[in-house]
Amino acid sequence: MKFTIYQESRPGKRPANEDRIAYTYSRDALLMVVADGMGGHLHGEVAAQIAVQYVTEAFQREARPLLKDPFLFLSGVLGNAHHAILDYAADRFLPEAPRTTCVACVVQDSIAYWAHVGDSRLYAMRDGRIIAQTRDHSRVQRMVEDGQLSPEEALRHPARNRIYSCLGGVSQPQIDFSKKTPLLAGDVLLLCTDGFWGPLAADAIERTLAEGNVLQALPRLLREAEANGGDNADNLSVIALGWEDSYDEDGLAGVSTQTMPVDAFTTQMESFAKARKGAKALPDLSEEEIERAIQEINAAIRKYSK
Amino acid sequence: MTTQANVPLPPGYQLEEYRIERQLSLGGFSIVYLATDDKGELVVIKEYLPNSLALRTAGHTLPSIAEENAATFRYGMKCFFEEGRALARISHPNVVQVLNFFRANETVYMVMRYERGRTLQEQIHLRKGEIREGFIRAVFARLLNGLREVHAHKLLHLDIKPSNIYLRTDGQPVLIDFGAARQTLQNDAPLLKPMYTPGFAAPEQYNNARHELLGPWTDIYSIGASMYACMAATAPQAADKRLERDQLVPAIRRWPDKYSRQLLETVDVCMRLNYLERPQSVFALQKMLTGKARSLPKTGLFGGLRKRVLALIK
Repeated sequence: MKFTIYQESRPGKRPANEDRIAYTYSRDALLMVVADGMGGHLHGEVAAQIAVQYVTEAFQREARPLLKDPFLFLSGVLGNAHHAILDYAADRFLPEAPRTTCVACVVQDSIAYWAHVGDSRLYAMRDGRIIAQTRDHSRVQRMVEDGQLSPEEALRHPARNRIYSCLGGVSQPQIDFSKKTPLLAGDVLLLCTDGFWGPLAADAIERTLAEGNVLQALPRLLREAEANGGDNADNLSVIALGWEDSYDEDGLAGVSTQTMPVDAFTTQMESFAKARKGAKALPDLSEEEIERAIQEINAAIRKYSK
Repeated sequence: MTTQANVPLPPGYQLEEYRIERQLSLGGFSIVYLATDDKGELVVIKEYLPNSLALRTAGHTLPSIAEENAATFRYGMKCFFEEGRALARISHPNVVQVLNFFRANETVYMVMRYERGRTLQEQIHLRKGEIREGFIRAVFARLLNGLREVHAHKLLHLDIKPSNIYLRTDGQPVLIDFGAARQTLQNDAPLLKPMYTPGFAAPEQYNNARHELLGPWTDIYSIGASMYACMAATAPQAADKRLERDQLVPAIRRWPDKYSRQLLETVDVCMRLNYLERPQSVFALQKMLTGKARSLPKTGLFGGLRKRVLALIK
């Protein structure tokens, strides 16, 4: 496999980032996953984290180095992630389970397979045009598609953020699957949360990606989306994959997986700590301080026990 | 939260003078093991290993810590020390006892006494809705003795809930998991802040800005919520949701025929959203609970509990 990949998650103007994103690949298979934990529900970020982590770990267990059946894999992991979130809530007596959207995509043998729940999206692009995209599980989006609402009206519609399928919800999630989509050199797969696609003009993604490769185009799109989001910009996250012809020697930024051992994985996932805004530098703890603390504690144990 | 799950030390692993028997639980900040010491006694060992910062993979003993996380990892260690330091100074039958503290495998370990029994949460699940007044009184009266000792050391537990209340087989409740008891450090280490359990945390715990409002009354809210959970068999509505729209049915209205008025009123007053309206100290709460006449059967309730618990483990 040869590809370039870009991922970034920004908190926008929100105090916390409830989006979680990750990609991981073995020698022959690649996984990308994006989840948008839902504010308004307890621990939205926890739901997103559970989903991303669950999907990633399952991929690493099962892609050895290829998945047997990518659609079966996606269906299994999304269903299990849903139950993992419910278990998390049950273990902690939470009055309601946290919720998250999720879009996950597998590429192996130059064929893409994806599945989604909610309104996080995947766009498949070829020659600067969208050749396939997910359909949001949102009534407002369905109304736009049916011509009952204009895209402009949808942007202001009070129920624009309401989705009817998610992981962690009271009902079983409705999971939609893509077709098997063979990729050609130059194709781009873009996974993103609504904080990214929402504020962008309809043709912005096509226009910008047509101009250059993902590594250059994505930072520009992120800036644009965040600026358009204004003072209340939502968390915005994106993973973009540029599928490359193996003969294309353009740039060192590309990743070639042929030299990887069959059981190796490379994973990029934002750590929980870094996803938080306003993390301050912490004073370091020296070796002496550690030793002293342990001695103090043991002295206290000896002094106070009996 | 975690990025990847840490792999526990394998059963049989010799950790200083302790031999790992098995993993008991795995949290975001630590792994807890059951182990035997060199005299063959069972102990509980808590290993500091926040998996967002340090990752131990299968087949390895030492965790790998990314350079950018090294400072945060060591800072979190400081919080772990706070827990150890606080517990080491408290010697009380109703508070978990720390036996040793040591450094190994590039991290730190806390050894605690192993108690036989089960958590109050397990008890609630087991007896769904059938927890009697005598049981609640017996458990909480003793538990409050321990909490009083904790507060006397200028320490707040801050995460009291049924799963952190351990019922020993001899009937004594033991307050465990002081992982949240590090109030002085929370402000500057938001990354390592424990996740409070909604339903049991007091409203003032939800808002960092109101940090100065934490006091004995904060733990007292959790005590009230834990007693409420014994009656309801589920957690009460979370305090932050109550602040938005209070849907918590007061205990006095919900179970007037099942528990004494005095106990129900005590639960309700502990769970007041305004901290000033709650009992301001454990002592005040204990007086409320034990002060007036109580209609308890003469035969030792506690003996009854003991018999039941013993019967269950046999």
